[in-house]
Amino acid sequence: MGAAAGGLVVENLSVSYGQVAAVRGISFSVPDGGSLGIIGANGAGKSSTLKALFGLVDSRADTMAFQGVSLRSLPPHRIVTLGIAYVPEGRRIFPGLTVRKNLLMGAYRQPWRRLDGRMERVYELFPGLKRFDRTPAGALSGGQQQMLAIGRALMSSPRLLVLDEPSMGLAPVLIDDIAGVLRRLREQGVSMLLVEQNAKLTFGLTDRCVVLENGRVVEEGSSAALRDDPGVRRIYLGM
Amino acid sequence: MIWILQTAIGGLSTGAVYALVAMGFSIVYRTMGLVNFAHADVVMIGAYVTVTFFLTAHLPFGVSLLAAILITGALGVVIERVLRPLESRDLNLMLIGTIGFGIVLESLAILIWGSFGTAVPTPIPNLPLRFGGLVVTTYQLLILAVAGAVTALLFWFLDRTKLGTAMQAVAMDRVAATAMGVDVAASNALAFAVGSGMAAVAGALVGPLLYVSPGMGASIGVKGFAAAILGGFGSIPGAIVGGLVFGLVEAFSSGPLSAYSDLITFVVFALAMTIRQTGIFGERTVDRA
Ligand SMILES: Nc1ncnc2c1ncn2[C@@H]1O[C@H](COP(=O)(O)OP(=O)(O)OP(=O)(O)O)[C@@H](O)[C@H]1O
Ligand SMILES: [Mg+2]
Repeated sequence: MGAAAGGLVVENLSVSYGQVAAVRGISFSVPDGGSLGIIGANGAGKSSTLKALFGLVDSRADTMAFQGVSLRSLPPHRIVTLGIAYVPEGRRIFPGLTVRKNLLMGAYRQPWRRLDGRMERVYELFPGLKRFDRTPAGALSGGQQQMLAIGRALMSSPRLLVLDEPSMGLAPVLIDDIAGVLRRLREQGVSMLLVEQNAKLTFGLTDRCVVLENGRVVEEGSSAALRDDPGVRRIYLGM
Repeated sequence: MIWILQTAIGGLSTGAVYALVAMGFSIVYRTMGLVNFAHADVVMIGAYVTVTFFLTAHLPFGVSLLAAILITGALGVVIERVLRPLESRDLNLMLIGTIGFGIVLESLAILIWGSFGTAVPTPIPNLPLRFGGLVVTTYQLLILAVAGAVTALLFWFLDRTKLGTAMQAVAMDRVAATAMGVDVAASNALAFAVGSGMAAVAGALVGPLLYVSPGMGASIGVKGFAAAILGGFGSIPGAIVGGLVFGLVEAFSSGPLSAYSDLITFVVFALAMTIRQTGIFGERTVDRA
């Protein structure tokens, strides 16, 4: 198990909704500068795991820490200050706010007058968003909203980017675009925790992966090794 | 023709007060999904506090109003803070809590100011100004000016300040707002403070038109509430339009048929609501995921 002090360390995490156990004692870690994919089918417990990190659902865990700081020691709205940013499932951008204000909200914990060109860097990463600067985000297409959700998360200058199914509902071309951006971010040294049903995409973007089924880790290993694993290939890559 | 304009001016000036009350209901509702039933009594407290500073302490009206805004704003924070533990358990409990708070405020007003009302003079000499055949009183103009300024201030706050932007973000998606770093509970408290401050303005302005009494919240509160529903509960532009329409309908029905004015107003309201159940601007539901 991850004894590394740096990065994200989660040990024996469980999440229940009343009688329904969604996550049953899973452990994983994302080393500083590294990346981890969590893949699993509908209802495997992927989103519940991420919500637990951000204190958005009740959970139990032996350890849940980032850079040695326990995530449970902070109220949910302070977790972003540790350098973890969240791209929630279904984008969850603020539909009535302009694209610019959505981005600013990503930097809510920083003084908006001193963002040092952060917004320009996000627009450089997603050139297609710039012309919608003053447009209500609800008017954007699904792909643009996903880019905005990622851009919004980047506005906090995170060390770890946590993404919940960024490819969901997007056309293959758009998935390629987003994959390209995530790859660039990885090259810039941003750590990544990527939750996906799209195993192929995830294997291509991460160093290591865990496979979740019914709230338990059933496989784990390097992404390259999992991609070649016959069982995983059959179930998750359909070949 | 002049009669129509004349009546419209009167309707708009009372309508402006209803709009202020309605905006207070709406700002809390859009952020929390909660109908704050104590709001009507906060209007009453605002009226009393203004009157106390203005008539008893002989402070200028502007200063009295400002003091009332601050005091009711703080009262709003207290209401939110006391009822906060109920929010995570059941919003209906919190709603009942606001009803309870209203009763407490009314009793408190009786203890402090007595159960009889006070007649309040207008803060400025109420002179008729003639524009051709049209007569507009200076107090009507004052109401419109103050209500307009407060509304502009609210829009500026929501649109141009960081806290206001965050409050809007909370209304749209409280989970995403939390993940971005917004303290939703603090934002809710601020919504209560802003709504209550606006209630004080409404109370202070309406004081000279009505009698300031512990029970005054009931009548003005119900009209502000109905105005908010008419405009689309939770919508700020809806609250403004709803308030003005309500004031106009009331003014036009009270000329020839004054005894039935309230009845007619509420019948028109009920008809409007059967035709368009979401209200004029209503479409969104409040996010409580
Ligand atoms: N708020 C909730 N109340 C009750 N049960 C829930 C709730 N949220 C999730 N669940 C249940 O918990 C389990 C795990 O859900 P979760 O959303 O974590 O899965 P997921 O892996 O993210 O699925 P998907 O790929 O569909 O997003 C499911 O059985 C789901 O029905
Ligand atoms: Mg999910």
